[in-house]
Amino acid sequence: MDEHELSVQRFLDHDLTPEERVAFLQAVDTDPALRRCWLNLEMVVAEAHRLPRIIPSTKFFSELNAKLTPPSLGWWERMRAVVTAPRTLEWNLAGALAAACVAIVAVVGLYTMVPRRVVEVPVMNVPAQTIAGMKQEPTVFVRLVLLQPDAQSVSVAGDFNGWNPSQTPLERSDGGMWTATIPLKPGRYQYMFVIDGKQWIADPLATEEATDGFGSHNAVLDVEI
Amino acid sequence: MPLDQHAEPKDARLVARSLKQDHEAFGQLIDRHATAIVNLAYRMVGNRAEAEDLAQEAFLTAFKALSTFRADSKFSTWLYRIAANKCKDWLRAKRPGQGPYDLDAQEVLDSHVAEHRTPEVLLSQQQVAQELEQAIQRLPPLYREAFVLKHVEGLSYEEMEEILGVNGDTLKMRVYKGRLQLSRELASLNPAR
Repeated sequence: MDEHELSVQRFLDHDLTPEERVAFLQAVDTDPALRRCWLNLEMVVAEAHRLPRIIPSTKFFSELNAKLTPPSLGWWERMRAVVTAPRTLEWNLAGALAAACVAIVAVVGLYTMVPRRVVEVPVMNVPAQTIAGMKQEPTVFVRLVLLQPDAQSVSVAGDFNGWNPSQTPLERSDGGMWTATIPLKPGRYQYMFVIDGKQWIADPLATEEATDGFGSHNAVLDVEI
Repeated sequence: MPLDQHAEPKDARLVARSLKQDHEAFGQLIDRHATAIVNLAYRMVGNRAEAEDLAQEAFLTAFKALSTFRADSKFSTWLYRIAANKCKDWLRAKRPGQGPYDLDAQEVLDSHVAEHRTPEVLLSQQQVAQELEQAIQRLPPLYREAFVLKHVEGLSYEEMEEILGVNGDTLKMRVYKGRLQLSRELASLNPAR
């Protein structure tokens, strides 16, 4: 590269001082060879600047995006990645105390909520003529029946009501049948029917009788569960 | 094209978002710089398909190495450097059918002019551009790289120093020699000039 070419190059890069630029332009004016060299280099610079720009194709962008996008994993791969991903467990004293408190409360709460043992309530078998109650003390409902078509009133007196004939009246139903249903606890009872408030008779349907010590017999009722 | 000074703050924000695995942000960086990178690669390798492949490689490399990008430099400068290195690697290893270039060769024979051309041909504007494209491809890679960055991409010598890692005087000499070779090639096609 001779001196002329070098001065043209420096002129193109704006590396000349103002004085050097004046001297260069004067030299260009008087030296056709230098002028031709300068114009050729100016043409290269100008044409290079005007070269067409290439627009990247859509394929370029789509391929690049595909390469940058992480592959989509299936359900199993995602689960596996979550489970097998290495993790660092970090804790501090406050966090550990909080976790311990939560665990203690959970254990105590669970202990108090769960019954100590399971109690099975037995199912009572009752005779066909009784209705068993499910109260705290077993009670058996006993139905007493007496056929007295001519009676005006019928009541029952026995051990269960203090032999009071006015406490437990029987109710009349069709056909002269008198009935009463009384709750009794399991046990053995004696009783008699009182007809029209004056006639005392034993239950003709009773399966057992007992002497009352006054020459009569009381009906005996065994109440069982 | 000259690096846009106003684009850098936006580039920095997009880089920060990309570092948080925001793929859309990196997509925007691609949109903003794809044309420059593809054009640089095209001027270097002279083949559009190869240029797009190299530009893709440059963006992928940038994406993977984004955590190493220092915020005190421009993203565009960093990206140009990656792309320039990709092009030089391609020229060293894959120049199809012609064997690798000796990229370290600094000197070029001044007689390396297309003497087979017919000097009487007067060139139209379009022909000048076409001839210039071809003449650029005949430049030694280091001259070509410097000339393209300076006069096609419009970068300053300071930006080129940062991209290529070469001092300014060396770069100027490469640009001088590149311009000179190109002017001789074009002048030989149009002796009237």
